[in-house]
Formats: sequence, structure tokens, C-alpha cells
Amino acid sequence: MKTISIDPITRLEGHGKIEIFLNDQGNVENAYFQVPELRGFEVFCLGRPVEELTRIVPRICGV
Amino acid sequence: MDNFEPKIIGFYCNWSSQMGIDSAGVEGASYPSNLRLIRVMCSGSVDPEVIIEAFKKGADGVVILGCHLGNCHYRNGNYNALRRYRLLQKTLEQFGLEKERLRLEWVSVAEGKRFAGLVGEMTEELRRLGPLRQFS
Amino acid sequence: MAVVDTHEKLLDIAAAADILFWPVAMDFKYRDAEEMADKSIDVCLFSGAVRNSENEHIAQLLRGKSKVMVAFGACAQLGGIPGLANEKRRQDILDFVYHGSPSTASQKGIYPQEITSVPEGKLKLPKFYDAVMALDQAVEVDYYIPGCPPEPARILEVVDAIVKGNLPPKGAVVGALDKALCDSCPRKREEKRVKAFYRPHEILFDPERCFLEQGLICLGPATRGGCSDPPRCIRSNMPCRGCYGPPPDITDQGAKMLSAVGSIIDSQDPEEIEKIIDGIVDPLGTFYRFGLPASALRKKRFS
Repeated sequence: MKTISIDPITRLEGHGKIEIFLNDQGNVENAYFQVPELRGFEVFCLGRPVEELTRIVPRICGV
Repeated sequence: MDNFEPKIIGFYCNWSSQMGIDSAGVEGASYPSNLRLIRVMCSGSVDPEVIIEAFKKGADGVVILGCHLGNCHYRNGNYNALRRYRLLQKTLEQFGLEKERLRLEWVSVAEGKRFAGLVGEMTEELRRLGPLRQFS
Repeated sequence: MAVVDTHEKLLDIAAAADILFWPVAMDFKYRDAEEMADKSIDVCLFSGAVRNSENEHIAQLLRGKSKVMVAFGACAQLGGIPGLANEKRRQDILDFVYHGSPSTASQKGIYPQEITSVPEGKLKLPKFYDAVMALDQAVEVDYYIPGCPPEPARILEVVDAIVKGNLPPKGAVVGALDKALCDSCPRKREEKRVKAFYRPHEILFDPERCFLEQGLICLGPATRGGCSDPPRCIRSNMPCRGCYGPPPDITDQGAKMLSAVGSIIDSQDPEEIEKIIDGIVDPLGTFYRFGLPASALRKKRFS
């Protein structure tokens, strides 16, 4: 099975990749979108002072 | 924890606590060899970074020994030790380092037995807590 | 993205240099980088910390292809805000993100895997390390541009220095000063004797006076200056948060700051000292806000 790999996806903030599997006829059998990043913001924000959150969560995107 | 022998680093000041440690020897009050002692001039001169370094290099516990409040050879050094130590202890606790691993004790010349007792107690406590894993 | 904040001056940057790889703004693939000759990139501005095997792989890849590697921004230089994850354990993060979080529709026992078999073939994900690392814990770094984010004016200065060949010796932090922020702070300083620490909403503070003297934790004493003149945060009536990292010769920004804060507590009564310290509600997040991975409290990627 032929694979087309888009790695990384571009022109956006964040990490992602797409694997496209083609069948013998050259048509798309299946496509998978994966997010190969995890930073755990939702975990390390817990318990922080509330005024910190407005300064922490913009760093999720950064754009 | 079988066969686990905790390593304790003790920073002791050159004045009251040195005399207290000597008294333990003179009085025959033995304390576990788990404690390795490092002399400093004043408990207030023990930098938080040095304490962290001790933990990173393998200490399971760190104790700082100084003169009783009001009796510091340099007047205010031990107050500095108290303030920084409490802040460091709170910070390290957030990092997962149990507060029992870091202690600050005032020891006078007459407290040889008490010093030996607290080392024994700390060693037992650390045996119960197990080796420090935060940096491994 | 801070480079994009240079606005129209971006055109000057583009005129001065060939951009060989910039996935966030242009359609470059990792394959393109892999096919480059070694040392064919003059300067690589690398942003982001190293959290997984893909980050590390790309850092190593670009290090090999680049003559000069620059850690760009607080995450690359120090670990940054995502470095706060080092307070938690890897498994606790995975458990919460994929199962514990109230907004996750989780399936029992399902966690991301490095290799997943699907009917059509195999899918790969990077290995999620035990800890966040600063860039120089993964590869050799030649220069550091600090800031969260780096200041556009400083970026332009650095690009200019690169173009003119005016860079300092290797290992330097560029686009910054060699002194603590306090040195360039316009606020009035009188005496630092503090009876209480406050969160910013708890008091009305004097906009002309040093924050620390008023009981607001400002990381100025343990933070490198040079972000802007006057420092932007200070000018906006907020204390410095430490994003520029430690001043020269300080390895652990957090320990230095907590030491400084301890020494300004105006009390000799253990109970009162305890109460004053209780006013600092999140010491780890305050003192090590941007630099936990680069500090003495750094953790290894695998345990």
C-alpha cells in the first residue's frame, strides 16, 4: 500500500501529521491525522493561582 | 524498604552546633553513620542551591544545624537560614520532595544527646520514606 | 511567531537571508531538512523545548544542518512555561489528559502508543519523555535569544548582528543585558523590609515604587535585563515574571530568587515568618516559572 506522509502540517501553530494510505487503484483507502505533541497544560495549571492562568494559557498557542 | 541506608548530609555551623556535635561524642551519645557532616561558618550561609545540589548528588535527606535563635554568632544569620529554609522546603514539596527530607535544627553545646537523637529519628524517617527519586 | 511580530521589518529579514526551513509560516517538510547538506544552514533559530523524541530528533537534525544554533525564546533557552510540567510525573500527565479530565471522552485503557497498527499499516507517534528539557540539554547551542516571547526589536538587532558578523563569543545570551533587571528598572527603591506578600489583586500598589518593597513578588533581582527600555511589564504596572532567565553567573534562577525573597522578610518570630511565607501561594510556579527544566531542579528524560 502506498503511503503519502504530510509531516509536519505547516503554516499553523502546533504539531500535526497526516498519513494517507492509497489502495492499488491509487485511491485513498484511509487517512489518519495525528497530533504528535503533548505538553500537559491541563495538568500543570491545576492548583496554580488564578491570576497565573491568564499568563500561562496564552503559551498554549503563542501566535 | 530492605537494606536501604539513607544518606543524610548535615551542614553544621562552626559555633553552637559544632560544640553540640562534639558534646555528643564526649557524652557517648552515638548517632547513625548515615549522616555525613559538612562544616559552614553560619547556618545562614547555606545557599538553597547547595541544598538542592546535595539532593541531586544522592542525599536522601539534608539537615542544617545552627545556633539557637538569638544566639547566632553573627547575630542574624540563623534568621536568614530559617526564612530561606522554609521557602525552599515549601518549593521542594511542590516538586515532590517530602518535607521530612529537609530539616533545620538549632543545637547548643549542651544538646549533644538531643542532636544524636534527632539524627537517629531522621534516619528512621528516611528509611520509611525510601530513597529520593525526584532527580533520577 | 515572534519573528512575525517584526511586522513590515520581516521583509528586511527576508531580504537579508534565504529562509530554508520555517514550517510555521511556509510549507517546509521534515524531509526537506533531512535532504539538506550538513552545515548548509547558516543560522537556525530554534524555538520550543524538548518534550518528546520528535522534538529531540528535529533538534539534532537541525543542529547537524546548521553552522549556528540559536535557542530562540524562553522555552528553548530555559524550558519555558511548558517546563512547569516537570512538577508532575509523566504517567500522571497521561492519566489526566487521556482519562481524568472532565472534558475528555476517554476509552478505557486507551493511551497514545508509539506504534499503532491500523488495517492499512502502522502509525507512529514520538516517545513522550519523563521530563521537559531546554534545548541545550539535547544539543549544543551556540547562542540564546531570551524572552517569552522575544522582543521584536531585539530580534532585529540580533539578525543585524548576524548579517554583519558581529556576534559575541559562543554561549552568549544575545539581545539582552549582562545585569539583573533591577539595574534598568525605573521604579523608586527605598528599603526592602517586607511584612507580608500579596497577590496582585489584594492591594492597591504604588505605581512608582519597587514591587518587592510593597510585597509583590517581582523576579527582577534574579532576571536578566534588556527586554525593553523601560521594561515592558514594569511599565504596564506588573512585576517582572522572569522570562529572560537568570542574569550572568547565576545557574538556578529560582533558588536565587527564593533566597532574595527570604532575606527581605522583616521578622524574627518563627510563627510570623511562617505566616508571611504563607502569603506566597505557589512558590515553585513563582520562582521557577520559566526556568524549571534549566534549573538545578532539572529532571532526566528517562528515569
